[in-house]
Amino acid sequence: MSLPPPSDHFKGKTVVEHLQETRKKGAMAAAEIHGTEMSGSAAACADAARETATALLLIGLIFSFTGSYHAFVLFFLLLFCAGWLIWKTGRSALLGWSRLERLHRLIEEERWEIQHNREQEREELAGMYEAKGFQGKLLEQVVDVLMADDNRCLRVMLEEEMGVTLEAFEHPLKQALGAALGVVAAAGLALIGWLSGGYPGLFVAAALLLAAATWLSCSLERNRVLPALIWVTAVIALLAGVIYGIFLKFPTNV
Amino acid sequence: MPPTSPSPYLFDEFFASGKEESISPFLTPDSRTWGKNLSLRSALFSVVFLLIAFIASFFSPSLYIISLSLVYFLSGTPALIDAINDIRKLEINIDVLMTLAALLSVVIGSELEGALLLVLFEVSGAMEDTVAHKTKGALNDLHELSPRSAFVLQPNGETTERAVREIQPGEHLLIKAGEIVPLDSTVIAGSSYVSLKHLTGESEPISKKSGDPLPAGARNLDGTLSALVTRSSTDSTLSRIIQLITQAQEAKPRIQRLLDRFGKWYALSIIALFFFFALTLPLFTSLPYLGTEGAIYRALTFLIAASPCALIIATPTAYLSAISSCAKKGILLKGGVILDALARCTRIAFDKTGTLTTGDLQCTGMAALSGNGKIDETAALSIAATLEQHATHPIGNAICALALARGLSKLPLQDFRSHPGSGLEATVLLDEKWVQAYIGQASFIHTKAPSLPEDFAASAKDARTFLYIEGSLFSLSFTDALREETMDAIATIRKEHSLHLAMLTGDSLKNAKVIAQKLGIDETAADLRPEDKLAKVAEWAKEGLIMIGDGINDAPALARATVGISMGRIGSASAVEASDVVLIRDDLSVLSWLLTKAKKCTSIVKQNLLLAISVIFLASIPALLGFVPLWLAVILHEGGTVIVGLNSLRLLKR
Repeated sequence: MSLPPPSDHFKGKTVVEHLQETRKKGAMAAAEIHGTEMSGSAAACADAARETATALLLIGLIFSFTGSYHAFVLFFLLLFCAGWLIWKTGRSALLGWSRLERLHRLIEEERWEIQHNREQEREELAGMYEAKGFQGKLLEQVVDVLMADDNRCLRVMLEEEMGVTLEAFEHPLKQALGAALGVVAAAGLALIGWLSGGYPGLFVAAALLLAAATWLSCSLERNRVLPALIWVTAVIALLAGVIYGIFLKFPTNV
Repeated sequence: MPPTSPSPYLFDEFFASGKEESISPFLTPDSRTWGKNLSLRSALFSVVFLLIAFIASFFSPSLYIISLSLVYFLSGTPALIDAINDIRKLEINIDVLMTLAALLSVVIGSELEGALLLVLFEVSGAMEDTVAHKTKGALNDLHELSPRSAFVLQPNGETTERAVREIQPGEHLLIKAGEIVPLDSTVIAGSSYVSLKHLTGESEPISKKSGDPLPAGARNLDGTLSALVTRSSTDSTLSRIIQLITQAQEAKPRIQRLLDRFGKWYALSIIALFFFFALTLPLFTSLPYLGTEGAIYRALTFLIAASPCALIIATPTAYLSAISSCAKKGILLKGGVILDALARCTRIAFDKTGTLTTGDLQCTGMAALSGNGKIDETAALSIAATLEQHATHPIGNAICALALARGLSKLPLQDFRSHPGSGLEATVLLDEKWVQAYIGQASFIHTKAPSLPEDFAASAKDARTFLYIEGSLFSLSFTDALREETMDAIATIRKEHSLHLAMLTGDSLKNAKVIAQKLGIDETAADLRPEDKLAKVAEWAKEGLIMIGDGINDAPALARATVGISMGRIGSASAVEASDVVLIRDDLSVLSWLLTKAKKCTSIVKQNLLLAISVIFLASIPALLGFVPLWLAVILHEGGTVIVGLNSLRLLKR
């Protein structure tokens, strides 16, 4: 089967170009933007813990330079953690819902296409399966079977045309709970570190938290742990250096 | 990631539900539970935080503010989004006014009252959503009866699976035993029994052979059929039923529409009056614009006093209490306004099969039509059960059940042959002698016993199944079994409510009359197709009709009736969806209780409305004239709300 000529449905593109474009659209719909590319409560927990540790480290650095009163610092840290908890939890849920809305819109659009542009959808399926090596009568039979049931066809289009995986995402509230747990755990450990060992204790706790969160993220993403740890350490060192430099330029007493 | 195996109808269910998160195809199955009843859960959290805020208001301003913030976040945010969406669509309704009133309550320092207003609305809205969702359910039954694909016979003898929508009249289908007929068609080869139970209410399977019409949605019971498609999917019987449901739902008068229309004009008028008074009072009087004696202050007081809080909760709280009370009795109502409609009805009509009766075919016995007297009826029944023991259709099951009930044992048999759609034959060992026996419809018996007169079946009235054993001929009669509680339920309704009792059925007049006489039904209409049933219901609905049914064939009638009541456990999904009330335990004996509760609810709603309107008039006009200060307007307003709420709670009693 030769590739069909472009049509209005394909907006002047060939079937293959159209397939590439829709796959991009699918990838965009499924993407998660809360700091890691992994979705789900574990990733949200790691992400929230890492950001909480970084923020507390930054605040700790500033207060260690300015030498503020202990009670004031504690009050400030508690206030910050409460606000941060609400923000991170809410944001994680909102991002999850935003992704779900995009995916639902995508599925609705594809369903409409299957119901109203059946010939073009047949061409797309033929293009996809021809690229997988099917030819002639076998290719036609495959396309016939897939087109016979809208549910089946929609699933194939979503998974193979757009690269979207079904039943793979967690509910936004579950993801938000993961983020909340990440913040609570990180804030709790950092505060314990600060209360027991002062600023050095806070820095050690934050560093350990960053290392643990980075390790968890890397495990989920199957990335290499050591380079990631070193890069995170480098970013924190840069952060500390810049803050210290600014402090030296504009010393203040709070 | 483990391999996924979503339900084949996952997408259909998802779209049919209005894209419910709890069945989103993208969420992991265990994660979907997080999306169930979210608005109800959110509302319940709001109630808890509101209570905390109220208690904290006496001793902890900090806790008070935090709890109140959570209430406004959980209940106020959705209300605000809805209100803005309504405004964008140029729809100024009670929801918009309620949101505006709640926000203005914050401005004038009555934030607790504003929160109460928001929470009450969220709870009532969420509970109605939850009840509607529960009664809607997944549309599996409907999907099962409307196959998406079918096997098409090609001229070269091969079969290909094709989408039903793409199959055109004139093409040939292959329908195997157990499958649903996908399109209206005519049998061109093969014979089989088919069940039309869900389509017409006919409980007895029908024999189909070459030349007979096959309606889409019928279930092929035993043989394999080749059929010529006569109508495309858009014109099929099943599509027509679905169209009828939609039309009936659109044509149905809804009290809710009246309330919405009233609410829209009321809200618009109050908002317009608020701006009018705020801007014009200083032009005609000596009032300034600002200050506690200013026009804006008075207009605001007027707006709060005239805000229809009591008016808005007058009906939902009463209906919610009644809904809750009904739910405990196993009755689900799709919205409280149904109770008003129930109280107005003058006639009650029942479907027969599956509603008054169990829907299971019952063999009532057999009668000897001719013979040599060597074989008595007991032996004949034993032989019939022996032949039917391997059959899967309802006739066979009914014969076997009767034989079992009479303690008859099966006999040895040999040379068993099944003729799908016609009958069965075998040699049976009776009293140590092998006898040839045939069971099936008249035409089948006649081919096996040509010596019988051609019109032998005429002497057996409406019997369709016959048994022939070496010169002896028997007819078997069948009927529907009455539900256990039907007699008492009908008697109680007749005694306690002045309703005209009627029965509507797709079954034969003979079968229908037997049941009607047993129950003392006033009026019976039989042999009705779904469209006939709908026409009858439309005619009766003018005087207020309660229709009770269970099958897909009842769905249009249930939707068109003033109030449609379906049987939840056995009812088809489409009947449940089309109806206003669902009896989740299939128990007809709760009907009388429901009618009494509906009358009481209507009475309480009237009391509430009178009280709420009185409070509005008592507070708003004096507020505008300056006789009622803001704090008093709030107290009168909220006091009225509380009294109306307490009055509604009386309906919670079972």
